[in-house]
Amino acid sequence: MKSRKALLFWCSLLGLIVFLTVFSNMLAPFSPNEMNMDDVYSAPSSDHWLGTDHLGRDVLSRLLEGGKVTLAVASGSVILSLIIGIVYGGISGYFGGLTDTVMMRLLEALITIPALIIILSFQAIIQGGMWGMTLLIGLTGWLVTARIVRSEFIRLKEEEFVKMANMFGTPVWKILWGHLLQNSIPAIFVVTLFNFAGAIFMEVSLSFLGIGIPPAIPSWGNMLYYAQNDILIGAWWIALFPGIMIFLTILSINFIGEAWKNPKRRRVND
Amino acid sequence: MIEVRDLTINIEGKHITQHVDFTIPRGRITSLIGESGSGKSMTVSALLGMLPVDAKVSGYVMYEGRNVLDASDQEMESVRKQDVFTIFQDASNSFNPSVKMGRQLYAFSGERVGDTIDVFNEKMKLILDQLGLAWDVVEQYPFQLSGGMLQRCMIACAFYVEPALLIADEPTSALDMVLQKEFIQLLIRLNEERNTTILLITHDLDIVAEAAHEMAVMQQGTIVETGTVETVFSNPHHAYTKRLLESRF
Repeated sequence: MKSRKALLFWCSLLGLIVFLTVFSNMLAPFSPNEMNMDDVYSAPSSDHWLGTDHLGRDVLSRLLEGGKVTLAVASGSVILSLIIGIVYGGISGYFGGLTDTVMMRLLEALITIPALIIILSFQAIIQGGMWGMTLLIGLTGWLVTARIVRSEFIRLKEEEFVKMANMFGTPVWKILWGHLLQNSIPAIFVVTLFNFAGAIFMEVSLSFLGIGIPPAIPSWGNMLYYAQNDILIGAWWIALFPGIMIFLTILSINFIGEAWKNPKRRRVND
Repeated sequence: MIEVRDLTINIEGKHITQHVDFTIPRGRITSLIGESGSGKSMTVSALLGMLPVDAKVSGYVMYEGRNVLDASDQEMESVRKQDVFTIFQDASNSFNPSVKMGRQLYAFSGERVGDTIDVFNEKMKLILDQLGLAWDVVEQYPFQLSGGMLQRCMIACAFYVEPALLIADEPTSALDMVLQKEFIQLLIRLNEERNTTILLITHDLDIVAEAAHEMAVMQQGTIVETGTVETVFSNPHHAYTKRLLESRF
């Protein structure tokens, strides 16, 4: 029961963050790019709850708007990596044999290269904006998903109900979809959650290094990047709040993922 | 109805079965009995044309005048789809755990014979009723039902489809004694009411004694004795059969 409550808590926290960022247009007290040169580096007050930055922009508004960007990049890339991972892992797991061997060796080769390096080098070449980043993170994030899908398919393929469906001449696509994929959903869900946390982290890291989201668009990583100088003059609030948001978001996703990893929640577990 | 002659299966140089000979007469319950690993299930896979790809097979399996072993994949598929129904050991693994029973029962029965969902609903309701199952099961997921109920659902499909041949591969080994007996009664009923030919694979002599008309005893990939249940039980020839009979409770 204890873990149930904890799960509920983390889910509501994540829900709250998502809600706040999605409706940032309505909730933000100021426009995120509205500058006010008379009011730079003002500490948190009743006017500006979380203070203002070096251009006098409201930190709270930027935080909410930035969260939208960060979460959109993360969601987009996770969906992309999910699709690629399912297709790749599914083909590899279902057909097996030589196909599987070749595909898995290729995957292992790719997995040895840290994703950050691949993204760094590509980002340096294409100088991509928000959607370029989404694409890059998505294209490098599917490896683990593919592995999980493959192992689930291999396990389920040997189950009696799949053999039974085969025997009755059920079409292959129906077996792939209804029998294999549908029963892999719990595992895929968990790995996707962790991927999501990873994608947020990736966006933040890249933006923090200054090669991610273009400076005009606020994102949590961008805010941290510009806050580096601000901390030196004592404007701690500019860095702290995006940091807390990143921390809480990734933490809650990880806790939710951990809770779902619990095999008791699955229906087929042998 | 089915004649198996000189069936030999090799997988990677190992003999799984050697020179297997037996017949499954139409309208009777034939039992194939033998210990685990004696090649019973592989023999059945051969009948269904479902052997692993690396298996080498020789001999004949005559079904309605054709050798099943030579049949094309499409022919086999249509045989499996139309003529044969198979019940496996553990019904809880035979159903997709994430799909409600109703849809699965339809896929196993109504859809195979080309009935619409309405016809299925009507017909299946009657059958489930006869088998002592409430109609509610169609709204449930497999893991919400007990092993015995699931096995009864399976046989309900067999009642619906009325296959020419029902293959039951150790259908009772996951059930307790009471449910085993119930299940065997259902098999007998299916055989008597619908005249379904049944191949019953088991390692339990009591079940053979209870249900089967004919039997074939299998040991280490060969058939050591065949005949009607009465003759084999009263006058066993082979040492292995004798040992089997002696080891009954």
